[in-house]
Amino acid sequence: MIRIFGYSLEKKPTTSPIMEFVAVLIALLIAFGVSALLIASAGANVAEAFRSLLRGSFGSRSAIAETIIQGTPLILTGLAVTVAFRGQLWNIGAEGQFFAGAMASYLVATSLPELSRVPMVLTIFLAALIAGGVLGAIPAILKVRFGASEVIVTVMLNFVVLFFLSYLLSGPWQDPMSAFLQTSRITETARVSRIITGTRIHIGIIIALISVVVVWFLLFKTTLGYEIRAYGINPIASKYKGIPPLRTIVLTLAISGAIAALAGAGEVVGLHGRLRLDISTGFGFTGIIVALLGRLHPFLVVAAALFMGALWNGSLAMQITTGVPIALAYVIRGVVLVALLAAETLTHYRIRRVCDE
Amino acid sequence: MNNFFQTTIIVGLFASTIRIATPFLFASIGELVTERSGVLNLGIEGILQIGALVGFLITFRTGSHWLGVFGAGFSGIVLGIFMGWMVTTLKLNQTVSGLALNLLAGGIAFYWFRVVFADVGAENLPNLRIFQTARFPILSDIPYIGTIFFRQQWLTYLAFLSVPVVSYFLYRTRVGLQLRCTGENPRAVDMKGLSVAKHQYGALAFGGFMAGVGGSFLTLASSGMFIPEIQAGRGWIAIALVIFGNWIPWRILVVALFFGLIEAVQLTLQALNANVPHQLLLALPYLLTIIALCTAAGRSRSPLHLGLPYKRE
Repeated sequence: MIRIFGYSLEKKPTTSPIMEFVAVLIALLIAFGVSALLIASAGANVAEAFRSLLRGSFGSRSAIAETIIQGTPLILTGLAVTVAFRGQLWNIGAEGQFFAGAMASYLVATSLPELSRVPMVLTIFLAALIAGGVLGAIPAILKVRFGASEVIVTVMLNFVVLFFLSYLLSGPWQDPMSAFLQTSRITETARVSRIITGTRIHIGIIIALISVVVVWFLLFKTTLGYEIRAYGINPIASKYKGIPPLRTIVLTLAISGAIAALAGAGEVVGLHGRLRLDISTGFGFTGIIVALLGRLHPFLVVAAALFMGALWNGSLAMQITTGVPIALAYVIRGVVLVALLAAETLTHYRIRRVCDE
Repeated sequence: MNNFFQTTIIVGLFASTIRIATPFLFASIGELVTERSGVLNLGIEGILQIGALVGFLITFRTGSHWLGVFGAGFSGIVLGIFMGWMVTTLKLNQTVSGLALNLLAGGIAFYWFRVVFADVGAENLPNLRIFQTARFPILSDIPYIGTIFFRQQWLTYLAFLSVPVVSYFLYRTRVGLQLRCTGENPRAVDMKGLSVAKHQYGALAFGGFMAGVGGSFLTLASSGMFIPEIQAGRGWIAIALVIFGNWIPWRILVVALFFGLIEAVQLTLQALNANVPHQLLLALPYLLTIIALCTAAGRSRSPLHLGLPYKRE
């Protein structure tokens, strides 16, 4: 035990929410400091860079709208990761599941063009749920059946999905009028964009907010949610308690995959109207940080997603005005996560006044 | 004529098998040592990328390939020790820490590359002359055999040499025994008065060094240029190879060569304009990794204390 001037640093039995908040704050401060250093090392004016970062993320009505748009898929991928990580199942495949949802949307929109808007959009999101659920269930089944690590399987599936998509985009699904790797635009009845006039905010945000409530209810108000969390805390004890591991693992990862796929469908239906490889800026991976920054809690995930969305848009503005590459957003993303993990250990300690013997 | 053509293709296939296996071998032999100490380093993918970039930048500036390799290895050591700080000192969850290291390293590599080559478009990325391949008197001139075995990169010979060296270290030296024991039963190591943390830091530094050097192979001995995500999942596959090789050095050598062969077949089919879309061929190694994991998991036994932080009661 460390003891200085009558104060001691000792381990706490429990952590308080205030300390958890402090940990997040410390992490953000560290990320702020590191990004200042990096901006300076790129030869740009730090103050000016931060000003344009702020302006680009919250500076105007349209900037705020764009932050919400950027945050929309992140809410969903963050929720997807939250569900999986709550069960200590490491789904790193949200990126692939995102594209599975996007591909399912395109498939429905092009193969059922006669549907009118409401059944069309419902079918699209249903198809995305199924595609993501199936893709999520694969690593779960392989884990239970063969003991294959879900971390590596989900990472590998990301590559497989992306290569499959780039194959589709360079051949069967390629827009015949275009030289780019993209599909043609989907039919207008499959689009629900610009739900708030004057902005590009789209149906995705509604899907995302509904999902937040559903995931919250699932995790904290249902038996399955209890089983997921119990499995996450102690898989062996939960097995002896009669919670079947196969069902829990498969359901957890299938639900996780399905939610990530909704993000992909939302981007196609609401924002882009077509399929391209760059409709994701790494939403699946940023989702991991969103989930952990949001303390694996659905409501906090929304705040974390908007923060990461703001960071991306702000970095974009910063790149335009100061020339600091947008890649900075990826560094900050990593620094936030590492700093958060490190700061978390702080929450397990307390400083206490002790009397000298 | 046709026969000559076939022979050339087959010789080329085996020569590239050995070449392609090199970065896998560096990364997985390093990861093997790390995992034997009880630490699962999922950050290998990120270290490969940093190694690839650091090696490239140093060689690009100084003209010395070996300086690039050492720089890459050193950057790997730094990242390995950083991982050690997270999982050994702070005792954070190893899976999450590894993911964090990956995301951080990937971000740094991407940013650094963009800052250094700010005004360069995608079409004229800087490139450099790669390492010259080794030449041995007489041996290199043996038909077929010479091309396959004796005209490889020096780094490739180093990677293959690391297998017996690490095997000797793990099974025939005192420190190697202590290291394996740290992964199986850290309490016993602790009760002997030895430091669990020191062994794990050392193993992570070595694993980082190997991954860093493996990354530099990609830029300095293979492509001659750096692009973000150049490692393309090799770090993850290397982790799978350790499982597939059942945490035994020579078995890892065999499975790394097997993966090298698959990649070489894939590349040859692409070059021959086989009637298969090349994206589907590119997906092959990743699918194979999944299959390998499924077949391996039942037969192999990981170090008992792998992935768990050691805490004194």
